[in-house]
Amino acid sequence: MNQETAEGLEEESSILIWLTGLAFVAAMAAIFLFVPTEKTEGPIQRIMYLHIPSAWLSFFAFFIVFISSILFLWKKEREWDIYAYASAEIGVIFCSLVLITGPIWAKPIWGTWWVWDARLTSTLILWLIYVAYLMLRAQTDPGSMRARYAAVLGIVGFLNIPFIHFSVLWWRTFHPQPKVISSEGFGKGMDPSMLATLGISLGAFTLLYFLLMGQRVRQEKLKDEIDRLKREKLYSS
Amino acid sequence: MNLYLNQIGAIIWKDFVTELKTRELLSSMFIFALLVILIFIFSINLSIVKASEVGPGILWVAFLFAGTIGLNRSFMLEKENGCLMGLMLVPADRTTIYFGKLISNFIFLSIMELFILPLFMVFFDIDLLSHLGPLLIVVFLGTLGFCALGTLLSSLSSNLKTREIMLPILLYPLLIPIVIGVVRMTGQLLDGIPLLDMMKWIGLTASFDIIYIGVSIMTIDHILEE
Repeated sequence: MNQETAEGLEEESSILIWLTGLAFVAAMAAIFLFVPTEKTEGPIQRIMYLHIPSAWLSFFAFFIVFISSILFLWKKEREWDIYAYASAEIGVIFCSLVLITGPIWAKPIWGTWWVWDARLTSTLILWLIYVAYLMLRAQTDPGSMRARYAAVLGIVGFLNIPFIHFSVLWWRTFHPQPKVISSEGFGKGMDPSMLATLGISLGAFTLLYFLLMGQRVRQEKLKDEIDRLKREKLYSS
Repeated sequence: MNLYLNQIGAIIWKDFVTELKTRELLSSMFIFALLVILIFIFSINLSIVKASEVGPGILWVAFLFAGTIGLNRSFMLEKENGCLMGLMLVPADRTTIYFGKLISNFIFLSIMELFILPLFMVFFDIDLLSHLGPLLIVVFLGTLGFCALGTLLSSLSSNLKTREIMLPILLYPLLIPIVIGVVRMTGQLLDGIPLLDMMKWIGLTASFDIIYIGVSIMTIDHILEE
């Protein structure tokens, strides 16, 4: 990486930092000041504006893992491996956030921390798959083997999502649960102000994804650079 | 094509000869599956719970756990004496190694299952014979899916430092859809529902099998690469 591109990247990421910061301030203002409190659920419902964007972000991140894994196996460039790795890490963090904010929201509304509902179950399975992905990466030494194995798992894991979706959906249709999920209010038509707040929050989280992704990719590349320099200096002296 | 089939056959034959000489795998898989069933029987009260409700789940958990032993063994044995390198040096397509291992894993697991099923029938007092045909189809679909994904992941995990631990961690979350499918189907069969009423589950498990065999064919080259 030469000096100029490094500076260019620096500038780009600082613009992104400011944008993300502003978007989050706007989202916070919208969530806590602008949007009216939901009638039946009360203030706890505001957690939705963190819950849904986190879910969206983690699914998006896992999709990027899938695409990068395919591209890695096709082109065999380290670049794609870094993207898959960075995206998987971000995805797992936000999937964990979904699994944490979900029960916090569920306890006062449904009266229980957890129900074995289709969507909750599939999110948990998804989390397990990508935690296993990160564990696989941690278990192997850096190099082409790690990248290839991780890419195979990234592909296999993402292709599992439709199967998980349908199997847990049909699994639960045999034991009907109270219609809890509809309390999210998507189908019922949301108040425009709520929809706007959710939109702002989604935007802020998406920006955050690109920001984190950029930082993580840069970090990984610097790591590679340090390794390369180390080897060069060690052997030349 | 004939050559390709011969190469697959040679790998299966090799696995069988090894098993006949050592007699380690089948017996340990069988005893382990039996133990899993026993432990579950102690942990539930069969006089309260209906056997046909908990039975299918226990049966498939036993198959799954015992099958994992087989999968772990299948590539570790090759690793031990550098046999995998030998297999890879054979001037043949790499997918022959996958198919050979897939089929031999499948056969070993099926033999074990054929021994477990009568015992299951005795322990849980469930009449399997009246719906044996559909049950065998379900067992076939489930075992094939397990072996399809399991063979791919065990070829991968055999190169890791902590292979026995990593294989289940990688494999089980991915197997959840097919496990739900086969447990549901087995349960409904035992309740006397004909197999034709469960077309969506058959579709799910069959497409799981096909897609993962396809993905394995496409990716095995990247795993078996030194």
